[in-house]
Amino acid sequence: MSAVPAEIAIFARSTYLQYAALFQWATVRGYVGYKIVLPVTQILFFVELGVYAAGQQSALYFALGNAMQITANAGIFGVIATVANERQYGTLPMLLASPANRLVTFMSRAVVNVIDGAASVAVGLAVTVVLFRLDLHTANLPLLAVCVLTISLTTAGLGLLFGSIGLVMRDAIVIANVVYYLLLVLCGINFPVSRLPGGLQVISYCLPLTRGVEAARLAVAGGPTNKIGALLAGELAVGLAYALCGYALFRILETYSRRGGLQEAY
Amino acid sequence: MSSRPAKAAIEVRALQKKYVTWRGRIRRTRHENVALARIDLTIHAGELFGLLGPNGAGKTTATKILTTLLLPDAGEAWVLGLDVVKQTDAVRRRIGFVFGGERGLYWRLSGLDNLRYFADLYRIPPDVSRRRINQLLGQLGLAGREHDKVEVYSRGMKQRLHLARGLLNDPEVLFLDEPTIGLDPVGARELRVLIRNLADAGKTIFLTTHYMFEADAICDRIAVIKKGAVVAEGTPASIKRMVENQGVVEFEVVGISADRVSMLRTMPDVRSVTVTERDLAQLVTIQCSNPADLMTRLGGALDGITFQRISSREPTLEDAYVQLISETS
Amino acid sequence: MTSLVRAAFQAFWISMRLRFVSSFAILGWLLFPTIFGAVGLYVLLRPGAPHSQLAYAVLGGGLLGYWGVAYLDGGLSIQNERWSGTLEHIFAVPTPLWVILLGKVCGSVVWGMLSFLPTLALAYFGFHAVLPTIDAGPFVISFVVLTFSFLVVAFAFAPLFALWRWALPVLNGFELGFYTFCGFMFPIAILPGWAQPLSAVLAPSWATRAIYASTTTSGPHDYAVWWVVSVGLSLAYLAGAVLLYRLVDDRARRSGELALA
Repeated sequence: MSAVPAEIAIFARSTYLQYAALFQWATVRGYVGYKIVLPVTQILFFVELGVYAAGQQSALYFALGNAMQITANAGIFGVIATVANERQYGTLPMLLASPANRLVTFMSRAVVNVIDGAASVAVGLAVTVVLFRLDLHTANLPLLAVCVLTISLTTAGLGLLFGSIGLVMRDAIVIANVVYYLLLVLCGINFPVSRLPGGLQVISYCLPLTRGVEAARLAVAGGPTNKIGALLAGELAVGLAYALCGYALFRILETYSRRGGLQEAY
Repeated sequence: MSSRPAKAAIEVRALQKKYVTWRGRIRRTRHENVALARIDLTIHAGELFGLLGPNGAGKTTATKILTTLLLPDAGEAWVLGLDVVKQTDAVRRRIGFVFGGERGLYWRLSGLDNLRYFADLYRIPPDVSRRRINQLLGQLGLAGREHDKVEVYSRGMKQRLHLARGLLNDPEVLFLDEPTIGLDPVGARELRVLIRNLADAGKTIFLTTHYMFEADAICDRIAVIKKGAVVAEGTPASIKRMVENQGVVEFEVVGISADRVSMLRTMPDVRSVTVTERDLAQLVTIQCSNPADLMTRLGGALDGITFQRISSREPTLEDAYVQLISETS
Repeated sequence: MTSLVRAAFQAFWISMRLRFVSSFAILGWLLFPTIFGAVGLYVLLRPGAPHSQLAYAVLGGGLLGYWGVAYLDGGLSIQNERWSGTLEHIFAVPTPLWVILLGKVCGSVVWGMLSFLPTLALAYFGFHAVLPTIDAGPFVISFVVLTFSFLVVAFAFAPLFALWRWALPVLNGFELGFYTFCGFMFPIAILPGWAQPLSAVLAPSWATRAIYASTTTSGPHDYAVWWVVSVGLSLAYLAGAVLLYRLVDDRARRSGELALA
């Protein structure tokens, strides 16, 4: 029997078990609350804010922006919270002392969250479209789906970078929250990036999500595929850069944390 | 409101408790786990009573019902003549409990702050709590460390802080759930001395443990619980007398095969055989009803095997416990 | 009685001290209100925006933060008690649970008020936005009524965290719903018809309406009606909370889940 199918089976099983073991919402009630109600209410809040500020015609702008940001929830929290929750439950030392492949171990958690994030976005967007009677007749839905998937992956790279810090720091979940909510301001979610001060605009384009949101808006507006493609390519490049830096930092900090015995500090 | 005269410090009648768990995520199935089948206990005032049992036997469940943390499904329990279900508040004022372990303390606060906080929650007047806290810190060897955060305490210190908290309200009855678990031998011995001193001072102590020597050393009476039922109750001596005609033969060998061990088990009067690895040798422990006779037969039974040492001894409480637990399984 | 007051104060004081040493607490009073406040300021103060949106831009972030901390922080502290293994201990003390939770929730409310510091500072220094007019008397009274409503809602929800391990993700999910239906950053009047009854049964929404009315000379100023409705709804929640506390005490002790993280 080939070793490859066995490895895939192990990966899949470990992905599911890690997700269920670590996350509180791994019950139907918790899942509905955290992965459906929260995203839907976030989208609803900002759509209403946008409608109040700029009229009904802006509803789609705000709905789409916030839906894309919610995609990042999975990619960022999935990885950062992994380390934080492992530390909280005291399983981080066991994990780090095991021969498990680190990249596979941590990305296996992100994988489930990528799928999970896409599901949350789909529900959130669907609810908003129905409630506000949004017009999607010009939208290229398959391309929009690609944008969602791309953002989930690129934000997972960002999550890996900051999650590494959780090896040597308590309360890495605080970092997860800071990163996630800063994206709300910096990535053109609720207002154009051009309204930010110059210095912050540079930061915006160094972050994942910014190009992905622009691409998603173009996809919904039926914009040119080549332009969307270029934006997604840029998005992937940024995400990959974060992922590589994150993995390198993770291996460096793993050694550092073993010297300091910091994995068990809680 | 039911009330009983406080002839007994703790009285338990037909107490039952089961836990409901759910398995599965989408299609969930209900499972019941019986923690207490139906237990009766009577503990007298000033007694140091030990409840022994394997993990999952129901010791902690019984303790939590008596400390008002859990409601039983059936049966009754009284502490100092007060119903633990209906007179909760009154019970809580007069008891203390120690669950111990790493959890159960505010790690980011100092030991002193932990004690002050709980002193107020126990509604102890400030002047009384100040005096008592100082006393307890000195008595339990925490004086000088009370301003340190609990997160830097050793396990032993945390355990002593748990005990200090349990004694804040000068309880008449003290519940200790495996108080020496995780402690080093010196720390554990010191704690046992302390517990015995508290009992000698007149407190009623309800202790759960699965260290037999501990129960043997300090308890006035013990009960053995297994799968939610009490299987034996009495003084350590009377429990040991249950295995009066029993004995233990132990010998060390190098390289005893599984076949030989199986053969030993089939010998007359042999109740159980356990093999413990010790470096290059194995320690074989045989519980039997006639150790002297068995020793004469062993030579023939283990022909060809070199004994390093052989001895027989009187059964300990642990032997009695092992026999009771295995008999009732 | 004195001992109960002392116990409640200790619960308040210890919860405050634990917040001071918790990095997570910064999220509630600093990060979230500042982020949401910044978004509100950018969206509502865009070029050409009507003057009526100014008050929502300036105060909205602070109100969101205030609500977020008051609503969830009390419950989070229960959750933290569960994780640190102290929840059983506070259930087993002679002080009633409601007294302890009242102390904790008062701490949450006080802590939540800190949200106005970063948000007002951001509005003034970052966007040069100030409220042109404010009717101080009604504003203060409305703020007190709002605080009372926050206190009661938080007090009513807090025992759920002791009862259910999944209370946090579920109630966390509803947090932004309150932002919408209470009108913290935009008037409730713009909500669709189906949402209006929801807003009407939420005590904070009436006090919020009164707060924003005190920042403008136009529109209705039915302060007395709004205050009475808000206080009345809060008292109704309180009556429900009394039943809930009894239920929680019984169910928590029956299930044995107090010890479970």
